[in-house]
Amino acid sequence: MEKSRIKEMCGKVVFAATAALCIAAAAAIFIFIIMKSVPALSETGLGNFLFGSEWAPDANDVYGQPLAGSYGILPMLVGTLTATACALLVGGSLGFFTAVFLSYYCKGRLKAVFSSVINLLAGVPSVIFGFFGIKVIMPLFNMLSPNGNSSGLLLTSVILGMMIFPTVASLSKTALEAVPRAYYEGALALGDTRDQAVFRTVVPAAKSGITAAMILGVGRALGETMAVVMVAGNSPQFPRGLFSSFRTMTANIVLEMGYAGEVQMGALFATGGVLLVFVAITVALLSLVTSEKKNGGRGGKKRGISLFGGRKICFAGKVFSVVSAMFALAFLAALIIYLLIMGLPHLSGQLLFGSYEYGGEISILPSVAATLMTVGISLVIALPLGICTAIFLNEYAGSKNPFVRVIRGAIDVLSGVPSIVYGLFGAVTFVTLLGGSYSIAAGSLTISVMLLPTVIRATEESLRAVPMSLREGALALGAGKLRTVFTVVLPSAMPGIIAAAILSVGRVMSESAPFMFTMGSSIQPMPEGAMSGGTTLAVLLYYLSGENLYTDEAYACACVLMLIVLLLNVAAELAGRALQKKFQGEKNAKKKSRRRRALEQAKENG
Amino acid sequence: MLRKRAEGEERSNRQKKTGEERLFSKDIHVSNANLYYGDFHALKDINIDIPPERVTAFIGPSGCGKTTLLKCFNRMNDLVPDCKIEGEFLVGGEDIYKSKDVTGLRKRVGMVFQKPNPFPMSVYDNVAYGPRTFGIKKRAELDEIVERSLKQAAMWEELKDRLNKSALGLSGGQQQRLCIARALATSPGIILMDEPTSALDPISTAKIEELIGSIKEFTTVAIVTHNMQQAARISDKTGFFLLGELVEYGDTHDIFERPQKEETKRYIEGRFG
Repeated sequence: MEKSRIKEMCGKVVFAATAALCIAAAAAIFIFIIMKSVPALSETGLGNFLFGSEWAPDANDVYGQPLAGSYGILPMLVGTLTATACALLVGGSLGFFTAVFLSYYCKGRLKAVFSSVINLLAGVPSVIFGFFGIKVIMPLFNMLSPNGNSSGLLLTSVILGMMIFPTVASLSKTALEAVPRAYYEGALALGDTRDQAVFRTVVPAAKSGITAAMILGVGRALGETMAVVMVAGNSPQFPRGLFSSFRTMTANIVLEMGYAGEVQMGALFATGGVLLVFVAITVALLSLVTSEKKNGGRGGKKRGISLFGGRKICFAGKVFSVVSAMFALAFLAALIIYLLIMGLPHLSGQLLFGSYEYGGEISILPSVAATLMTVGISLVIALPLGICTAIFLNEYAGSKNPFVRVIRGAIDVLSGVPSIVYGLFGAVTFVTLLGGSYSIAAGSLTISVMLLPTVIRATEESLRAVPMSLREGALALGAGKLRTVFTVVLPSAMPGIIAAAILSVGRVMSESAPFMFTMGSSIQPMPEGAMSGGTTLAVLLYYLSGENLYTDEAYACACVLMLIVLLLNVAAELAGRALQKKFQGEKNAKKKSRRRRALEQAKENG
Repeated sequence: MLRKRAEGEERSNRQKKTGEERLFSKDIHVSNANLYYGDFHALKDINIDIPPERVTAFIGPSGCGKTTLLKCFNRMNDLVPDCKIEGEFLVGGEDIYKSKDVTGLRKRVGMVFQKPNPFPMSVYDNVAYGPRTFGIKKRAELDEIVERSLKQAAMWEELKDRLNKSALGLSGGQQQRLCIARALATSPGIILMDEPTSALDPISTAKIEELIGSIKEFTTVAIVTHNMQQAARISDKTGFFLLGELVEYGDTHDIFERPQKEETKRYIEGRFG
């Protein structure tokens, strides 16, 4: 008996330790980024750094004499904020109206289709968005642009907008669906039209949830890197118009990290630091909004928004909703069909299985190998850590435990940190730790940290879906907590955990920014082991799309990447559905089969 | 490891030799029990003696403390935060809140819940869950326990051909009887039942009542019920609870025919509750 008590204690300590690791990871990111940026900041001065309007790194002049550079990020700060605001205008409104459409204007199969559209769009890798932007949207916008080149603010906003769209849409949908049905019915009973009931009653009631969705969208737009680098033009100047080239802070890091001198490097880390400050602000805002929601909102000055009152305006809202949803569907369809048409014909044997020669023939085989290795290693690290943390949060820690609040805060921060900052973090920690050279191991470790919040949240959700009565049943049979967790709770939550694993695989496949400074900054040959460098598929696509020599190969690569990611998302969704079925579906499944039987009978009878 | 296995074998041998006899007695004595959920005083000065191998029913309106008291007997209230318990609970002769061996207690005191809660695994694994918790790994031994428990729960005939099917495919009534079989598998001396039939149809309810009648030959049953006819039908002793107090406790016959207290009389006649 004593032995089992020791086992229980050990279990609890292990779970708590993994949870504490999340706090350590979040803290380490802040500490390393700030530490690395201090030298550069003390040289240029914080004021000059933040408000200087010229970014000109150290260089040698024509006579080979060193020129001291200046490092002012104001143009990029303004660029990032402008692009984010415009993206929110595009993606935020599109997402909001699509969410309204999904939760109030469609039903049954149609709703399932549109929900999948949103999930799939959320899974599309950022390089693919960028690639699609360059190849399809840019030529369209070039026709509008006065100088015939449209890479710049408008293009970036549209691409970024489409990228934050799924975030805003799915979270707004959750908020709208959480509004009690009685509000809607009450409004109808008072003589409102359906549109008025939706826009005057339901939407205001879901305000805080929708605000939270917008904030998360902003967070995603602020941190987005690869797609932006591909479409923004990237000259370090203030954005001066819709078609003016500009540079965001994230792009700044990607573009210059590869060849940065000492001070410049520090300035790039400081840029990452500024991004972290923005992350901290969004996380704080988010917790403010959600805590307000819990307290039932502020009382007092609640005015109906008179703008949304009239019948016609509400009808216009409905029209917008339908149009937004259709647009999202059309965008996804265009993306997939375009990549298939352009990519499939170029999927040659050489490309898939051939050997890669530097500067000569291209093959995606080394990248496939590198990607698989990265997926494998990162899952082996992130899954156990994430699952244990989720177990600690959901099964062990009481809700009032202050430790839990800190852990949740750390997880929020980890999920908000831009991928490029993870790249910086990995470069100074894991790369240094593993001997100072780029390696698949370093990249995998970096992305493992990044996966933690995804794994933890998805696992927690599936643990929460396990009915409390099962735990009670096991405990009442004399099982200890550990045995209850491992024999009853985890097996019941397995489909959800599998979905989390699949989502993580998708995430590793689609990320690129964290690998740039951890696994190699150019296309790498076939990896010889975990300690050699590698180029994942997404990173390969980024490099290929920058070189006009390999357009066909780029299409093929994009096509392969897209297909894999789509398949993974579909698989994750199926696994998630299996979880739901496990607990609620028993009865429904029976009903369905009865219905099917009835249908068959009807057919037999003619 | 080896010693533990030897101990386990010895224990199971002893069980086989002495049949259903166990080391612990099967009665419950509660004296001066008080229970608080935070500031809420949920049980007030409870004194009750539950006799062995009888059915004791707890009746009373919702929120009167019946289930709370029941859950004290196997320390399920330990799961509730801010729950403070005072007084002496002698279960099988042992003061359970002084002992640290909660799992051992729950082996001796089984529980059946309001809603059937079979685990999402096979019928066999459900029944074998408890024995496995206590280290029984041999297939033959488990087979024997599963068969015995299902026979005791009068389900062996209907389930023996689907032992490897998921327990979730059973009907609600079958699930609840399976939960009883699962509780019987650890050979508990006492079984607690928290409104075991409130989620079931009348036919399933009748089957469970019949089952309770048969298991009381070797097990003490304490049952919480909202259904007064049920208490009258199946129990030997009845306790009436009101607002956290045990108003009246005695032979079921006496409680229903000649209640001593005015509140009991009014409740039984259906004037409140």
